[in-house]
Amino acid sequence: MLEVSGLSVAFKAGLALRGAALTLAKGERLGIAGESGSGKTLLGLSLLGMAPEAAHVTGSVQFDGQELVGAPETALRSLRGQRIAMVFQEPLSALNPLRRVGDLIAEPLRLHRGLSRAAALDRAAALLAEVGLPDPTARLRQYPHEMSGGQRQRVTIALALACDPDLLIADEPTTALDVQVAAHILDLLRDLSTRRRMALILISHDLRAIARVTDRLAILYGGDIVEQGPTADVLAAPRHPYTQGLIAARPVLSASRDRRQPLPTIPGNVPALADLPPGCRFSGRCPVELPHCHSTRPTGNPACHREAT
Amino acid sequence: MRLPANLLIGGTLVALVLGTAALSLVWTPHDATRIVVAMKFQPPSWSHPLGTDQLGRDVVSQLMVGARNSVAIALVAVLLGGGIGTALGLLAAAVGGWVEEVVMRLADFSFAFPALLFAIMLAAVFGPSLTNAVIAIAFINIPVFARVARASAAQVWTRGYVLAAASAGRGRAAITWDHVIPNVLAPVTVQLTIEFAVGILAEAALSYLGLGVQPPTPSWGRMLSEAQTLLYLAPQLAIWPGVCIMVAVLGFNLLGDGLRDLSDPMLRRAR
Amino acid sequence: MTLLILRRLLGFALTLLAISAAVFFLMNVLPGDPAMVILGIESTEDARAALRDQLGLNDPVIWRYLAWLGGAVQGDFGVSYSFKVPVAELIAERLPMTLALAGLATVVTVALALVLGVYAATHHGRAGDWAVMAFSQLGIAIPAFWLSMLLVILFAVTLRWLPPGGFPGWDDPIAALRALILPATALALVQSAVLARVTRSAMLEVMRQTYIRTATATGLSPARVMWRHALPNALVPIVTIIGMQVANLVTGTIVIENVFYLPGLGRLVFQAISNRDLITVQAMVTLFAAIVVTANFLVDLAYLWIDPRLRART
Ligand SMILES: Nc1ncnc2c1ncn2[C@@H]1O[C@H](COP(=O)(O)OP(=O)(O)O)[C@@H](O)[C@H]1O
Ligand code: SF4
Ligand SMILES: [Mg+2]
Repeated sequence: MLEVSGLSVAFKAGLALRGAALTLAKGERLGIAGESGSGKTLLGLSLLGMAPEAAHVTGSVQFDGQELVGAPETALRSLRGQRIAMVFQEPLSALNPLRRVGDLIAEPLRLHRGLSRAAALDRAAALLAEVGLPDPTARLRQYPHEMSGGQRQRVTIALALACDPDLLIADEPTTALDVQVAAHILDLLRDLSTRRRMALILISHDLRAIARVTDRLAILYGGDIVEQGPTADVLAAPRHPYTQGLIAARPVLSASRDRRQPLPTIPGNVPALADLPPGCRFSGRCPVELPHCHSTRPTGNPACHREAT
Repeated sequence: MRLPANLLIGGTLVALVLGTAALSLVWTPHDATRIVVAMKFQPPSWSHPLGTDQLGRDVVSQLMVGARNSVAIALVAVLLGGGIGTALGLLAAAVGGWVEEVVMRLADFSFAFPALLFAIMLAAVFGPSLTNAVIAIAFINIPVFARVARASAAQVWTRGYVLAAASAGRGRAAITWDHVIPNVLAPVTVQLTIEFAVGILAEAALSYLGLGVQPPTPSWGRMLSEAQTLLYLAPQLAIWPGVCIMVAVLGFNLLGDGLRDLSDPMLRRAR
Repeated sequence: MTLLILRRLLGFALTLLAISAAVFFLMNVLPGDPAMVILGIESTEDARAALRDQLGLNDPVIWRYLAWLGGAVQGDFGVSYSFKVPVAELIAERLPMTLALAGLATVVTVALALVLGVYAATHHGRAGDWAVMAFSQLGIAIPAFWLSMLLVILFAVTLRWLPPGGFPGWDDPIAALRALILPATALALVQSAVLARVTRSAMLEVMRQTYIRTATATGLSPARVMWRHALPNALVPIVTIIGMQVANLVTGTIVIENVFYLPGLGRLVFQAISNRDLITVQAMVTLFAAIVVTANFLVDLAYLWIDPRLRART
């Protein structure tokens, strides 16, 4: 259904996405993991044709045979929400604070499906029930600020589902939520995907979240997909040094239930776009680096010079 | 560091205006107020680069003296109002309590009286005069500077070293002098620059309406009010005084924006 | 919410009271002798004293203020010294002209500023944005009365499309409208300069918010995202500036009426000044200040109407 190949996104400072390749079948669930700044959000936005104006996007995104890179704005618009939907990183600011929840969900239904206001609101209530909000009819009249973070995230998901998309991209849907609520949201996403036969891309830097929901996993670092495969396999036997570092940095489950505690991390930070090395993006931070890693880009899966030899 | 464009353009325009005003103190091509009826409505010439007006007065000379008057009036009025306002703001921040409450309430309240309304009241009681215009412009500046000064002063008063100095027994006046005033200087300077622009506009409007500079003293606003009765006869007389006002106001505004960007690059808000 | 509005209403009433007091004391405590103004310099001191007595000018100023206030709330602002008719009548006669001018100017200002501001924000960093910013800087630097004269030179003197000034009365609405076009345009161009700039920066701020991305991602057209989702969220700063601009609008109207010889309140106040007609000037200054205060009160209410989060706080 979705076939991404050679997808690159260039900014003035450099390439923020470097020839990404992915495939996704109908109803399949894919996780995308990587540290902050590795290009996860950008990848999601590119699939909707919503990369920032300053970005130059090349390569190919085929959705049911339709090429999206360079497609006219009107074609993309008829896809957004109806075929591919996206839930954004900050659930607290993801809903227009001035509009009632019911009107927000009804809007795309009225515009794309031509429903009357009453019919659209009925459908909105059904959607709110589907995402597990109790007393949905009363919710329609509420404003976003009258709801908790978890409830708002459910509303954003309901909004994304409004026009029955075939693919839902959820960008860090649980970062701002506490552990309990996060788990419920993750289960909801998995169940929705199963029930609706809807493909799901779950973007997260939290490997536990990804393990809970997805079938396959792609690891992103510095704009490169460094490794991908079945989620269980990648997590059990990571082959790329970055993946290994990421898993090692994962907090032990029993250690703490409070996410606000600093996570043990890979030493250093993702360099700024302009400072990324031309060869393997991970060189400079990699514990098992080879002399030519900095200048020569590794290929294959995992994309690592150690693997090739 | 690269200087922002608005600082350069604004600085150049302001220098031009101030230079012209200064020059007019020692030299103008002609006596700006000398009436030579035989020379009325002269077209531009070597002797009168912008021609003469309905009374044969040299337009360039009048514009130069007008620059001096505009700048002087705006300067006096804004410095007067800015000084009083800043002092009140510093006082409010230093003393706090009901003093601060009263000062800030009065500042809130004064928005209801734009300069023109104030000048109208004064003119009705005392008759129109330049002094009234200066008082009116100064008056509207008091609350502006009281707010700016209090806001930055209040921030300084929460800093650790200031609290330490206070608990060590240093008086509020001394702390204000040592620590608060140096920190308030930058925002007040930026505001002064911007308010000069407002002051020049206000002086022009008041003089145009006859509530400011009185005849025969030349002023850009007055020149425009005289030109207005002659729009059919000599429309050219209505051009240059307006251009001068525009250049002066634009200059001070750009300079103020530039200074703010320079002193406070994080807060590059559009005004 | 009702409580909130009631509290605002009370604050509004107190501000009005304070304003009327401020104007009254300023104009009555300051030296100046209305009797001299009315009777002229050649009058005898006895005659002036008699008139002062008759006008109640010898009573304590507090007492006079209360008497004036009592009349004012019933619409009685006293009798004009120079026109010899009730001030309320003078005002009522000229109010429609001024309201029409201010209203027309406001409509054009807001429409122009929103279109320019939204356009600049959606074309951030491009030529259109620069053009709007340049327009804004120029508009702030140009006095409305000078712009009026330029418009008159172009459209009245040179092209002869519109009258250069004067007002034909309301009997011929087309002619009346034609007389208002240039003055309203001059006011609107100058006022919209600041407002366009504020609209632009407020829109830029809002366009970075995630809910704008959400709206786009649900397949809404850019126009719908801008006008239905972004602009309403930018309205709070915009409305704030509109409120602040009412002060400029009031003074601008006074000035512009004098440029175009329009028989409104702005002309009246200048006639009153040259006649030293204190009682008329006092009523009018109070009225102008009250308009400014009322506008700001309405802005406070508009916040509540715009933003449900503010309504929630009681
Ligand atoms: N508008 C933009 N202009 C320039 N660089 C950008 C822009 N948006 C994103 N980037 C760059 O793209 C990279 C990836 O960002 P992002 O996709 O947000 O990462 P993630 O979601 O994984 O945290 C970052 O290096 C960031 O600097
Ligand atoms: S390519 Fe080199 S630097 Fe990159 S991960 Fe492999 S070993 Fe490390
Ligand atoms: Mg992200």
